[in-house]
Amino acid sequence: MGNIFDFLLVNPMTNALMLLYGALGNSYVLAIIALTLIIRLAILPLSIRQQISAMKMAAMQPQIRALQEKYKNDPQKLSEEMRKLGFNPFSGCLPLLLQFPILIAMYQAIVRTLAVTPLNLVELGSHVYGFLPSIASLVPIESTFLGIFDLGLPDRYFIIPILVVVSTYLANKLLTPPSTDPATQQTNQMLQLMMPLMFGFFMLSTPAGLGIYWIAANIAGVLQYYITKPILDRARAQHGLSVPTPTTSAAAATPTPSTPAAPPPKPKVKVKATMRVNQSASVRKREDEQRQRPSTR
Amino acid sequence: MSDRRSLRALLRRAGLLGAVVLVLAACGGGEPQPTSFAGITLIGDRAYLASNLFVHKLDARTGSELWRFPAKHEGNNPVGPFAGRPVKVGDAIIVGGTLQFAGAPDNRLYAIRDADGVELWRFAPSPTAKEFADGVATDGKLIFAPNGDHTLYAIDPNQLENGTPRVVWTFTTGNRLWSAPEVAEGKVFLPSLDHSLYALDAASGNLLWKFTAGASIASTPTFHEGTLYVGSFDQTFYAINATDGSVRWKAPVDAWIWCQALVDGERVIVGDVKGKVYAFDRATGQRLWTAQTGGPVRAQPVAAGDALYVVSFDSYLYRLPRNPTLREDGNVPAERVLENGLGRRLLSTPVVFEDLLLVPLFDGEIKLVAVNLKNNQREYELRVVP
Repeated sequence: MGNIFDFLLVNPMTNALMLLYGALGNSYVLAIIALTLIIRLAILPLSIRQQISAMKMAAMQPQIRALQEKYKNDPQKLSEEMRKLGFNPFSGCLPLLLQFPILIAMYQAIVRTLAVTPLNLVELGSHVYGFLPSIASLVPIESTFLGIFDLGLPDRYFIIPILVVVSTYLANKLLTPPSTDPATQQTNQMLQLMMPLMFGFFMLSTPAGLGIYWIAANIAGVLQYYITKPILDRARAQHGLSVPTPTTSAAAATPTPSTPAAPPPKPKVKVKATMRVNQSASVRKREDEQRQRPSTR
Repeated sequence: MSDRRSLRALLRRAGLLGAVVLVLAACGGGEPQPTSFAGITLIGDRAYLASNLFVHKLDARTGSELWRFPAKHEGNNPVGPFAGRPVKVGDAIIVGGTLQFAGAPDNRLYAIRDADGVELWRFAPSPTAKEFADGVATDGKLIFAPNGDHTLYAIDPNQLENGTPRVVWTFTTGNRLWSAPEVAEGKVFLPSLDHSLYALDAASGNLLWKFTAGASIASTPTFHEGTLYVGSFDQTFYAINATDGSVRWKAPVDAWIWCQALVDGERVIVGDVKGKVYAFDRATGQRLWTAQTGGPVRAQPVAAGDALYVVSFDSYLYRLPRNPTLREDGNVPAERVLENGLGRRLLSTPVVFEDLLLVPLFDGEIKLVAVNLKNNQREYELRVVP
């Protein structure tokens, strides 16, 4: 299993990282940033799908709660009705789960290529492609960055851990989808605080190169957010969810008099991110009118 | 009701997060993962093993531990981890500290009294010194200690100043020194990750010649009758004239070489990091045969009786015939000595004592296994529970 994982993900990333390092003037930081962007681009369709799925699930929440209340003593009927509704608890997280192996592989590729220890270097040698002999001449990677940081060692100045905490916090705040459920909101708030601290804590004892990757991934995530925002906004509108602003994403999810709770969407909506673009103006107008009516629930 | 539910959900999620943190924190417990390769040296019937947190002196015949250094680890005064072959100079066993798992180095050399395992001195050769990833070498007078700070330190253990040995000379290369040098005929042959092999005068440290390959040289060269045999990450195995650094012959291989070659009669045997073992004609460099193991071969092959023994990263000990009958494809089948292997990655060169092969293990509680080569059984093992 480990060999398949290496073969499919870790080895290509390891070799790509080395090639980028050579191509970008032996700058490991640039190589990490470039590979992070390439990977982000490659999984962009998956990310968009995951975010749209999460929106669908969020839009269904009122109906799901109603069904849970109604069939609280009949789990079989409940699951039947949920199925009819089009509820798939995995549709939101499956694409996200598929991204995890990529992240883990990236982590391993960085540890290998930095080759902080002799063991890492032996492992690197056994994973570089024999048909790319030029890679060997790049070894060992120049791990000093800005003359201050040794990317292979923990950052003793704590600058990178702090940047990891800040960038993770900001990215999480921006990217966490809004929820109408108070419990979920509370959890999100807690996670938005805890996760950055946890990552920062781990960065105290892990090579600074991993911190660079994490910061680059966060920035890439934010860039991706702005690039895909029009698509996601259209999908949100499709599901009758309010469009959050970056700084008020959590607050926007809370119904207020000026932003009334959205009416529940029709069950089994087949979502396409581009659907609304093709709708006629009259249909869009009708939908907008419906959305502005007070909720009947 | 709703508030209580949200509170419960919040507590549940906080609990989950706490559990994740605890699990991750627990990963850091126990013995830290080694970073460099254990080393074993046999002197008479005594074996000295530097393996991660301890240096051990063993009775090679029975495996009984005579002493270990340090006797106990104290939290406020960390010592080690250790790697590389211990070296005996006078009545002292010299070992080097290497990288800790988190990347911080122990930058000191330690002298341990052979008789009882008591520390004689410890020495950091410079404030900027880093790890001693593969121990040291000696010519009997000086200790040659290659360091991760790119510098080889030649120190005299017989001239102590304030209780620590004097640095006689230093030689700095362009990159990390992660392999012990070879010392022969008054010269120190020093491989460096900066792609070069340096020949230095052992007494003065003057550079005699320098050979540069296409990539890093990470393995200790083997000196034999005026020739150095050494491989590089440039997928080439070289025979170099030890007098002037000229190349006598070179042979292509399929992967990086980080394995000290074994000169076995008219053949030179070496392994690569993709598990292949090669035999070359010592005079011409002609490839005689190859054998395939299941993982990187970093340790030097060992000859015993009519067989060659090779340990591999895949945890298996392999036996090859010393005079093999070749198959049509030029390959020699590598036979596993123990059906189930040794259970851990094998990266350190074993030593032969009578009928026993003492094999250091890379990680885990068992640090050493003695394999009886007559009956292919485990004779004893050294287990360390920190």
